[in-house]
Amino acid sequence: MSSNVYFKHEGPWSDANDPLLCSDTGDWRTKRPVVDEENCIVCGFCAIYCPIQVVQMKGETHFEADLDFCKGCGICAKECPKNAISMVSEGEFVK
Amino acid sequence: MTEKKKAKLTPVLDYLKHEDPFAKGVAFCPGCGLELLLRFIPQVMGNDIVITGTPSCSAPVLLGQNNQSWHKLSYFGTLMTGAAANATGLARYYKKAGIDNTVVCFNGDGTAADIGFGNLSGAAERNEPFIYICYDNEGYMNTGVQKSGTTPYGATTTTTPFGAASKGKNLRRMNLALKMAMHKIPYAATATLSDLGDLAKKLLKAKEMKEKGFCFLHVFAPCPTGWGAAPDNTIEICRRAVKTNYFPLWEAENGKIRMTKTIKKPKPVKTYTELMKKFKFMDEEDHKILQDDVDYEYCILGGLSVLEAECQLPLPADE
Amino acid sequence: MNTKAKERSQIKVITGNAAAAIGAKLARPDVVAAYPITPQTEVIEQISSFHASGEMDCELITVEGENSAMNAVMAASLAGGRVFTASSSWGLVFMYDAILATAGARAPVVMVNVNRETPGIIAVSSGQQDMISTRDSGWIFLIAENCQEVLDLVLQAYRLAEDYDIQVPVMVHYDGFYLSYLSEVVDVPFQEDVDQFLSVLKDQPQRTTLKPGKKLGCGSHGILGGYLELRHKHVTAMERSKAKFDQIDKEYEEIFGRSYGGQIEKYKMDDADVVLVGSGSMCGTIKSVIDEKREQGIKIGLLKMRMYRPFPSEKMIAALKGKKAIGVVDRSLNFGFKGGPIYTELKSFESKLEGAKLVSFIDGIANTDITKENVGKMIDMTGDLANGKDVQEVTWVSYPEAQGGI
Repeated sequence: MSSNVYFKHEGPWSDANDPLLCSDTGDWRTKRPVVDEENCIVCGFCAIYCPIQVVQMKGETHFEADLDFCKGCGICAKECPKNAISMVSEGEFVK
Repeated sequence: MTEKKKAKLTPVLDYLKHEDPFAKGVAFCPGCGLELLLRFIPQVMGNDIVITGTPSCSAPVLLGQNNQSWHKLSYFGTLMTGAAANATGLARYYKKAGIDNTVVCFNGDGTAADIGFGNLSGAAERNEPFIYICYDNEGYMNTGVQKSGTTPYGATTTTTPFGAASKGKNLRRMNLALKMAMHKIPYAATATLSDLGDLAKKLLKAKEMKEKGFCFLHVFAPCPTGWGAAPDNTIEICRRAVKTNYFPLWEAENGKIRMTKTIKKPKPVKTYTELMKKFKFMDEEDHKILQDDVDYEYCILGGLSVLEAECQLPLPADE
Repeated sequence: MNTKAKERSQIKVITGNAAAAIGAKLARPDVVAAYPITPQTEVIEQISSFHASGEMDCELITVEGENSAMNAVMAASLAGGRVFTASSSWGLVFMYDAILATAGARAPVVMVNVNRETPGIIAVSSGQQDMISTRDSGWIFLIAENCQEVLDLVLQAYRLAEDYDIQVPVMVHYDGFYLSYLSEVVDVPFQEDVDQFLSVLKDQPQRTTLKPGKKLGCGSHGILGGYLELRHKHVTAMERSKAKFDQIDKEYEEIFGRSYGGQIEKYKMDDADVVLVGSGSMCGTIKSVIDEKREQGIKIGLLKMRMYRPFPSEKMIAALKGKKAIGVVDRSLNFGFKGGPIYTELKSFESKLEGAKLVSFIDGIANTDITKENVGKMIDMTGDLANGKDVQEVTWVSYPEAQGGI
């Protein structure tokens, strides 16, 4: 008999009722987006254009990327109409 | 804290009514146009769509690994050769069984324009009740950047490399979206990532129109890795593709072609090509060929769209 | 149990193609997708006319090619539907990638393949080469001898494919031209009896299906052991399908009064010293020659293969062991290997046949008739082998110029 170790179903079915697969894509980043809260006008362009959709509103004041998953592509910084986001080398944050 | 100046939130956010069904960490390159599109679609259309995917950059994420998934959508992993036929089978069975459904057949340009075009065309001819979305990154990116039917003139790929006897692809790209519109389907449209409001409207329109039959969306989605572009330029590339008329935004509803964004003074195509290394071997003469191609396609499109009053398709007999 | 079915009949004179179409209609599929190709075309013409007259309530997809036919029914099947398609020859191999995918996805698709040659030499003619070309796809292959069996096998195929313990696609093969266009007397089952025969499936657990919003996806990557696990599940399901097919054949007999013996049909085998192994329409001819030879006192029998994949090894060994000589008739070629495909496979069991000797006959390819005379020749040669004479291993019966066989 066959076992059900890797698959729960008879064929090649994956089941998202179980926890999703997820990679630590934050590890890929060489630069991180840093938001100047003062300059942020809360327009949301960074949020809509973020390919990973991890830029979210923080309170009512500004947007911020989830650094666990942000790959550091820099689109948010580029698309920010106020240049309120700068891409800063990860080296700067190494203690 | 002093009261700072706030802008109005972009209305695009209003279209994102549903959860992003994807895991936050998935294996797309930084700046990937496909990733933005793939996360955008279910946020606009809902998480109850059934999405089909083919071998491509989307497959490692759309399709699971063993029993686990990268997202919460119902999906069907298919072959490039038969993607539209698979979606046909799903949509027709749901119809027979009386199950409400939105089947989204999601493919790259390699499937849509090349190997799977036969069954895409067949499904359109039969007016099958589903939505076909082609994300166009102008080549076979997942296998390492090879030329496809939508790769533009002058682009270097690994099968149209630069060399003593070659400057890149020396053939013109096909106009897939116009070809699909000529199937007289209820809805065909182009869209891109710089104009997300326009894209959202078209996704919703397709969802509505698929009740009448086949809907086709051609979405221009840059690949920074394959095109030799900076990852942060993805949206800017889309924007310039629109502003140069390299990729005009239009829709055809019941055969009636309408520009959804008109560019009053189109920029030279060079302002678009300069953002990517894949065009770096193009000289002035090559740019003229590409520009002529862009102008020709826009001319055809313009001609079709001004005829809008006369060229609406008659409604089906049972309407 | 409905006992009326056995007693009543609905006799019609129809072609093999019509029998296949009627079989499909009686199974009430949800989705049918097909593309025309000689000699299968009549199947989809019939289904289209059933659909047009309202007799058949299914989604009929008139696809633009066979590849799409298989892709459409595969997806519809995985979504939960009962499906049907039909093809032949080039059409079958044009859907080959989808045939493999259907099997791998364990979609219980049922189709008929009207056997025809697949050469580069243009030949619109019968032969089982298309079956051999798709043999290793992971499908269950059944082979019909006559028009009645075509219809019966289509119905049995649904019971087998959709059985919860099996979930493997089934292809019913029948010889193009010989059966496709041949009109024979067929007892067409009544709808309510077919409904009863298939109703067993409704009492089984629901197989996994693709539905909107259920967070299930089909087509997942098989990573490392995952791939092996699914492959092993597949081959064990195919192994189970042998006994299941025998059981279905018995249940079919209980309702309809017709049994064919399951995996193999044995014709006058019990006391036979010499046996021919055949499949498909040739078996009718072989049976009639056997009857004549029996009158001359020659102890000859036929083993008819009804199931070709999975290979009915155990049943065949049990039926053939201890015989003096076995002639295997193949309607196809085994390129790069000596003898026909069924011969080669049976040869691998030679050590278990208790001394029975094997010989290969290639005949009936490209519409060369397997005549009574040819069958007589095969029986004589196999008889010679049984009597200890030296007989060449492979004989192209209709092409004596092929000295030494191959």
